[in-house]
Amino acid sequence: MLVGGLLIVVAGLMAFFPTLSDSNSDVDWISIPLVGFPIIVSCILLAFASQESRSRKDIIAAPIRLFSLCASLIPLAISTALFFDWLLLVDWDLAYNEYALEKEYLWIESIGVSWHVGMDGLSFPMVWLTTFLVPVTIIMTWNEKDGATYHPLLLMMGGALIGVFVALDLFLFYVFWELTLIPMFFLILKWGGKDRRYAAQKFFIYTFCASVIMLLGLITLYFLQPEGTGSQYGTITGRTFDMTVLFSNATAFNMGDNVFLGKDMQNVLFAMLMIGFLVKLPAVPFHTWLPDAHVQAPTGGSMLLAGVMLKMGAYGMLRIPIAIFPDALIFYQDIIMAIGLISLVWGAVVCLGQTNLKRMVAYSSVSHMGVILLGIASMQPIGYAAALFMMFAHGIISPMLFAVCGAFKHHYHSMEIGSMRGMAKWSPYLAVYMMFAWMASLGLPLLAGFVAELMVLIAYWPTYGWWILLPGFVLAITAAYYLWSMQRTIFEGGEDGQPPESLNGETPPDITLSENIGMIILAIFTVLFGIFPFIALEMMDQWAVALFEGVFNRGGI
Amino acid sequence: MNTEVFSTEFWQAFAPEMVLVVGLIAIFILPNLGNSKFRIPLTKVQVPWFFGGRRFKLTGSPALPGMLGTATLFIALGMMVIEAVDGKMDTTTVTSGGIVILQIDAFSRFFEIIFLAAILLASMASLDRVPAHTFEGKKSLEEMYDNRRQADLYILMLTTALGMCMVALAQDLFVLFVGLELASLATYVLVAFHKESKAGAEAGVKYFIVGSVASGIGLYGLSLLYLEFGSLQLSTLSANWNEGSILATIALGLVLVGFGFKVSAAPFHFAAPDAYSGANSPVAGVLATASKAMGMIGLIRVLIVVALPEDQSDGSAVWIYTLATLSVITMTWGNLAALGSNNPKRMLAYSSVAHAGYMMAALTAVGAWHWGHVEAPADYAEAIVAAIMFHLFVLVAFKLGAFLVLGLLEMEGGASRLSALSGLARRDPLIGTAMFIFMLALAGVPPLAGFMSKFLVIASIVSTSVGDLWMNGTVSFSDLHWVWWLALAMFINSAISVFYYLRIGVIMFLEVPEEGRRKPLPYGASIRMAIWICLVGTVILGLSSDTLIEMCYRAAESLNLS
Repeated sequence: MLVGGLLIVVAGLMAFFPTLSDSNSDVDWISIPLVGFPIIVSCILLAFASQESRSRKDIIAAPIRLFSLCASLIPLAISTALFFDWLLLVDWDLAYNEYALEKEYLWIESIGVSWHVGMDGLSFPMVWLTTFLVPVTIIMTWNEKDGATYHPLLLMMGGALIGVFVALDLFLFYVFWELTLIPMFFLILKWGGKDRRYAAQKFFIYTFCASVIMLLGLITLYFLQPEGTGSQYGTITGRTFDMTVLFSNATAFNMGDNVFLGKDMQNVLFAMLMIGFLVKLPAVPFHTWLPDAHVQAPTGGSMLLAGVMLKMGAYGMLRIPIAIFPDALIFYQDIIMAIGLISLVWGAVVCLGQTNLKRMVAYSSVSHMGVILLGIASMQPIGYAAALFMMFAHGIISPMLFAVCGAFKHHYHSMEIGSMRGMAKWSPYLAVYMMFAWMASLGLPLLAGFVAELMVLIAYWPTYGWWILLPGFVLAITAAYYLWSMQRTIFEGGEDGQPPESLNGETPPDITLSENIGMIILAIFTVLFGIFPFIALEMMDQWAVALFEGVFNRGGI
Repeated sequence: MNTEVFSTEFWQAFAPEMVLVVGLIAIFILPNLGNSKFRIPLTKVQVPWFFGGRRFKLTGSPALPGMLGTATLFIALGMMVIEAVDGKMDTTTVTSGGIVILQIDAFSRFFEIIFLAAILLASMASLDRVPAHTFEGKKSLEEMYDNRRQADLYILMLTTALGMCMVALAQDLFVLFVGLELASLATYVLVAFHKESKAGAEAGVKYFIVGSVASGIGLYGLSLLYLEFGSLQLSTLSANWNEGSILATIALGLVLVGFGFKVSAAPFHFAAPDAYSGANSPVAGVLATASKAMGMIGLIRVLIVVALPEDQSDGSAVWIYTLATLSVITMTWGNLAALGSNNPKRMLAYSSVAHAGYMMAALTAVGAWHWGHVEAPADYAEAIVAAIMFHLFVLVAFKLGAFLVLGLLEMEGGASRLSALSGLARRDPLIGTAMFIFMLALAGVPPLAGFMSKFLVIASIVSTSVGDLWMNGTVSFSDLHWVWWLALAMFINSAISVFYYLRIGVIMFLEVPEEGRRKPLPYGASIRMAIWICLVGTVILGLSSDTLIEMCYRAAESLNLS
């Protein structure tokens, strides 16, 4: 079996060999290797698996699982190689509205839609994060039941998520934005907990409603942009969905006292786009789908949902509305700050009252996403870099939180915080990982989360002054609920501990090897980016500076 | 090109329709051929007469009408598609006594392709849904019924197709009405054709009564129009519309009732859910796609070609507020009713009511084409008509496809409760996935065809509401025309609709099949093939919609709005 897997990897690399041999930038490193390959492979695997009978499904689950893992390693290898310049020299120090590895193919010419992909300092960290998380998730959930369809769905999820991050065309962006819903819907629906039906539908409908409002905003923007001629412009409508063209047009209009489309229109469209992104993020008061989805979702689904899917909202905010409507951003600055602060406080306070481990972690995600909004509202380059680093760090830490929750659920058949005492006695590994993940999430120095939080606070100070006490205080609450839950679960319980009733007297086992491997990888990277944040931060910083240079520099003002 | 009726050019231009006529006559004649002889009186000479007597084995086969009908539709559709792809879309008008009655152009051909495609798929599905049985052996009563009604079914199908083609071609409201009635009468019978259930006959009668009342009102409206203008020619009506009195407006309202019933717009939609759930699924699919497109032609002809003002002070048509209100009511009503229905066919019927609302919202935007900020109004109107045509075309793929899946379920006994779908994805993963994709397309999830169509409709509405405002540089939100809010209403409605479409997915993937439905689905080669065609269409027209969009624009341009 292992030989088979290796053969598949070799075959995969062989497929790219012609492109490996000539290292120039004319090769399309994004469309097929990062986006198309995972989606196509997963479709083939799903079609293959769905034709098999029930009994055969368990037999073919193992090879399909291995195949999915191998297939997910190829995008990881490519994105890592792109970062270290092993394939070709990529200059990540880009000016505003410049993209590396940019490729454009015309798609629906009549309305000006093209398959336009590219990466910059904003999208590359997210792409790498996705390619990194998919194999880790597959390893983590190696023993999930009905793996013949589960792991291909994770793979498809990864491809669609990368598609969101690399799309440089609003239409394409929206297509991938909605496409991510479908695998996640099935992950929750088929492998979820008791209320999975409710949770899956709520998740789908909630985010779909928000994104159609976003789409209406995009369409209105589309028709309000100046007509033009060129390959990107539609042959019938004379408009384009191309983000790069839109950005450069908007920047050209946003000069001096001039405002692209006028202030009033900017504010309306900005609000429409932000509704879509805020629901996805999610920010209070649009967050109610998240706890339900997380509690019911299977471990792998939660990991990708918290790790990457929430970041789609933050990514969308940083990518589209800010670049096109900078004046509206200034108009809404305080409101965004308020929403961020409310999310932060609300998430943390609700966490304190939770007895369900997964629900607590889900609300802590809401809280951390509030930090991203604070970074955006700070209107400082460092705040933007911090928001981006927060996305990145949370993308590594929160999958670990959910992995711990999943392992806990898997071995203890319970999610209640108070249901047991003294986990450290039976499951020392799980106890260590839980402690580590909790510490990382509450922002312990030397771990990735701390860097992000500190940077946001630094950016927050010059803009909002003493309001900084509020987020600072909330971070202390975060420590409180994490420590409290840890104390009640891992320690106490006397010499022999107190196993949960749900186990019916059996001795609780420790985590399996695959869970161990998955968690240690996540832990290593949490430490790595905590001690050497500049590995990722350099690129983010360059992007943030370029954005401010391009968007907020209004002709020398 | 201008021809007289029954001239040589006439036969050439109308070759596809003639194929339908020939097929129709063949289905009448062929099953009746036999070895009967006619004895010349007072002699012993017997002349073979061929009608009646003992039927020939080849032509008397009960499977023949189905084959013949499907083949006829296929040939006619093929001829039209080849003509459309070749781009030989010269306008051909047919006059009779100085009156233009029919006109072949890109617009009418496009709609004819929609009609024939829908009916072809339905008749393919009917080959399995209402199967023919061989003569050998003893047969049950149902099987004898099935054999007996083969010819009737396909005659009705072809008649529907012919009537619909006539509606598409008509340049005179009277001819349009005759075509509409030809198609309608055939569909009334088709709805009642479902003899396995009592609901069929009831549905047919209900549909017939409501439909004929609506047609009567429409006809009264037409007669008032004739009274006002002395002609029912589209060109005459269009030219004289601005001089019309209040009588013309009243007449317009009455005509709207007639066509509103066909597109199942609220408040004339009440018969639709009953008819769809009573009819057998392929026929219900035809009602939801082709019949709706036929009503839409009526609306386009009357509202856009005729009743659009050339120059009015506020620039909007008289019907704009009425239609805007009706469209919002229709889409909301349809979606809310679909939320509460436990019968998949009724649910699809209500969803098609909602889709009618979307298209009416788009038509409303055409009424605003002359408002202050529009420089070249015809472009905007054409964009909207093209979007509606795109929507109607792709509707054939996914709405009919969904009905065909239900048809497959009906073959094993009824699909009138949602629980009939439970566990479909486990019993037959491919059909289950196909149904789920149809549902996603109906909900408007990218990158499927349903998303493209909804996108184009909304984009065209927004485009009109924005107009040429972008030239100002500075725009205020209040500058947009109010039809922008219709786009928002559409979006809110399509968000509501996701709920019931997803519910079907959940039922198919999550629930356990009910008792008596544990076995694999019945096979049915041709109905499955029809489903595959629909599935491929749903995906392909979503991914590469460019050609179809161009085709729709060319078709809309041939309306010569300006």
